[in-house]
Amino acid sequence: MLSKRFIALFSLFAVLVVSLGIASAQDEKLIVAGWSSNPEEDAMLSALLVQFTEDTGIEAEFVPSPDFPTTMQTAFASGDYPNVFYIDSSKLPDWVEAGVVAVGEGELENPEGFYPSLLNTFTYDGVLYCAPKDYSTLALQYNKDLFDAAGVEYPTAEWTWDDLMAAAEKLTDKDANVVGLVTPPDLNRWLPFLYQEGGAIFDEEGNYVMDSEAAKTALEYYISFSTGGFGGTADSVDAGWGGEAFGKGNTAMAMEGNWVINFLLQNYPDLNWGVAELPMGSVGKATMAFTVCFAVGADNNNPEASWQLVNYLTGEAGQMKTAEVSFGPMPSRGSAAQTYLERWEEPAKGTKFDVADVGAFVIGAEYAYPWQLPVGFQPFVDAFNSSLQKAFTGEMTADEVLAEAQAAAEEVMSQVE
Amino acid sequence: MTDALYPDKDKNKEPQYKTLAQKRMEEIITGYTFLAPAMIVFVIFLVLPIVFAIFISFTDWNGITPLAQTVAGASGQVEFTNPSGETVTVPMGTAVIKAGEDGIRYLTQAEIQVPANGTAIVAVVAADITQGKDTNAAKSLLKDIEGPLSEVLEVKNLAPITGGLDDAFKMEGLDNYTRLLLQDGLAQKDFFTAFKNTLYFVLGVVPVQTILALLLAVVLNQKWLKARGLFRTVYYFPSITSSVVISLIFMWMFSRSGIINVVLSGLFPNYDPVTWLNDSNGLIHNLLGVFGITRQTVGEWATTRIVGLTAWDWISGPSVTMFTIMILNTWTTIGTLMVIFLAALQNISPEVYEAAQIDGATAWQTFRRITVPLLAPTTFFVVTLGLIGTFQVFDQVFVISSGGPAKTTITIAYIVYQNGFKNSEMGLAAASAIILFGIIFVFTMIQRRITSEHTA
Repeated sequence: MLSKRFIALFSLFAVLVVSLGIASAQDEKLIVAGWSSNPEEDAMLSALLVQFTEDTGIEAEFVPSPDFPTTMQTAFASGDYPNVFYIDSSKLPDWVEAGVVAVGEGELENPEGFYPSLLNTFTYDGVLYCAPKDYSTLALQYNKDLFDAAGVEYPTAEWTWDDLMAAAEKLTDKDANVVGLVTPPDLNRWLPFLYQEGGAIFDEEGNYVMDSEAAKTALEYYISFSTGGFGGTADSVDAGWGGEAFGKGNTAMAMEGNWVINFLLQNYPDLNWGVAELPMGSVGKATMAFTVCFAVGADNNNPEASWQLVNYLTGEAGQMKTAEVSFGPMPSRGSAAQTYLERWEEPAKGTKFDVADVGAFVIGAEYAYPWQLPVGFQPFVDAFNSSLQKAFTGEMTADEVLAEAQAAAEEVMSQVE
Repeated sequence: MTDALYPDKDKNKEPQYKTLAQKRMEEIITGYTFLAPAMIVFVIFLVLPIVFAIFISFTDWNGITPLAQTVAGASGQVEFTNPSGETVTVPMGTAVIKAGEDGIRYLTQAEIQVPANGTAIVAVVAADITQGKDTNAAKSLLKDIEGPLSEVLEVKNLAPITGGLDDAFKMEGLDNYTRLLLQDGLAQKDFFTAFKNTLYFVLGVVPVQTILALLLAVVLNQKWLKARGLFRTVYYFPSITSSVVISLIFMWMFSRSGIINVVLSGLFPNYDPVTWLNDSNGLIHNLLGVFGITRQTVGEWATTRIVGLTAWDWISGPSVTMFTIMILNTWTTIGTLMVIFLAALQNISPEVYEAAQIDGATAWQTFRRITVPLLAPTTFFVVTLGLIGTFQVFDQVFVISSGGPAKTTITIAYIVYQNGFKNSEMGLAAASAIILFGIIFVFTMIQRRITSEHTA
């Protein structure tokens, strides 16, 4: 007669073995990892995966993660990571250097259909790694009611820095808690101004060139909104970010990307607003492009099926379908641009928003710079951002901020072998 | 004969009695079996990660590269073009190189014949695999053949040469610790900014929360207090509510138009609303400013650098935002500590108080000479809990301010997160965590020495 203790232990052992078996059986399925953007987009992605399974017979599953970079990092470290996953342009250098991204050259179908600037963003050391999935650019949102009340003309594509400053001054109303322009203390919001002045962080050889006159001019201009009193951070007007401040009417202008379209149409449908391109600096136009790609993991149990899936999702048909329900980002193929513009007609009905304004974001692709820094530059970004915060309150000057940033950059560059 | 003690036993079998030793063994096995789940969890989730962290703190691992990865050289394919009219033989082991003085050579893996006016493809492998990732070559870079064949043939690589991998980590000895503590640079500056912020946090929160918890417990212990259970629940409630939820609510309360500013504006007519959550001015700096002492008016000594921060920075005090987080932390922890004190108070026999009353002691004398000394072990426990908890503050910082504004709410635990997951420097993060352990250990030992001197 078997003792009860033995039976209990054996059943526990059996359960463990069976669950391990179930876990390993899931190796056949392709795992697609990304973050959850909004319910409609998630539903569309899952629908696309279902259709992929019907067309090819390969199972695929979308697994969204809340804190995507952290979750992926732990997955990479263990050596057991998903077959297909998103990569944000800012993370590409780190993840390629870590050896977890498979090379895309030769595997991608119709790469000529993507915008060239996006392909460049995902090319590292001369090699193309992944397929761009979408992109967002920064543009200037303006509150038409506040402009009318102050008697200021709406922004145009020919606006210069002086126009922007003058308008911000006239539109600021301290008593009503309204500022002219929200200027986030972030490097990636200031960079367009640097590029518009003809400056840059690095030159073609990779030398640090942000200690230039252009950088000083651009930085002084950006800081003067706060110190002059007609601009500032979002929380100086009690908002979490520029879009919220803009929606609530606490700022007449904001510099946000495509994500703000859906946010405003859904949460502030009565807002009378428009979008124009960012103003020109003395050298020309510039904006930032935030873009994400579909990449295939290097250590992969099914690389062929993974590339098939990536091509399916970023091919012409896949891009059209994603553009139809996009919550903000624009399709990475020019062929789907029209679908994207038409997508906003429905939600914009009943609001005062003119869908044609979305074109200001789309045009940005022509002169947008990617948000991407070399490996190890996060401390540089942090040092710049925290110095910029101090400069907004007048504690530091533009020269001091640039000096701090340069010291940080030099230290990072001496660290990297 | 039926055995009344063992009615089910087979009568033909020998009755089985267990010896004392056997019973002892059974007890021991049963004991360990019950302990086993907790022990396994303890070892897997506590001991092993600590050992792993100590190991990683001596490496330069970036936290992303799979740990099992070892160095490997790249491989790929090249295409030889033969413009001449004769077939050319390319021996095995011919080196193909990048244009320029890179020094990385790729060796052909087979002998091939390139036909006249034709092409041939052959596999290549990096000659020196120890260069790991550097052996990867983009599509257009392989251009030359080493040796005389370069005058006869052309070469290009078909797809990028890939597969070159580096070791996941190198042993760096005490480098991470030196970078954090001794070497001038960003890592040291950030670490000591975090240390300064954490120190002000600890020195501000622990005494306040201990004293307030003790006072609350004494009040709740009074015989004349009705509905003691209700009060206990009310004060204990914040401790069990999610710290993330409380942080979010505090963010709304302390925003510029939030209720705190509204109340303060009502009480003080000249009050200029403070942006509680985005004010990087240190409290001590503000206080000194009231007396006219600012960074400009203070003497030369203020600019001397002590481990990465100026002396003026060191005496800044917690920033206004940090102060808000301190209030939040105190409010959430008082409940737990009060309950601990309450339990200890109820353990003091009422005879002691009666004796004090007979001796004519006032309430204050009773409190100071009898209650507090009797509570010394509990106070030690509460202060230690407080120290350990406050040195590790992270949740509220992460939710409310992400280390800002201007790095004034960065704490050592946040530095661990920042280094490990944002700066891709897991070795540095592990070293910071070990140093934090050391700091808490030292403070606890000091505190133990102080209290044991009193009770001895």
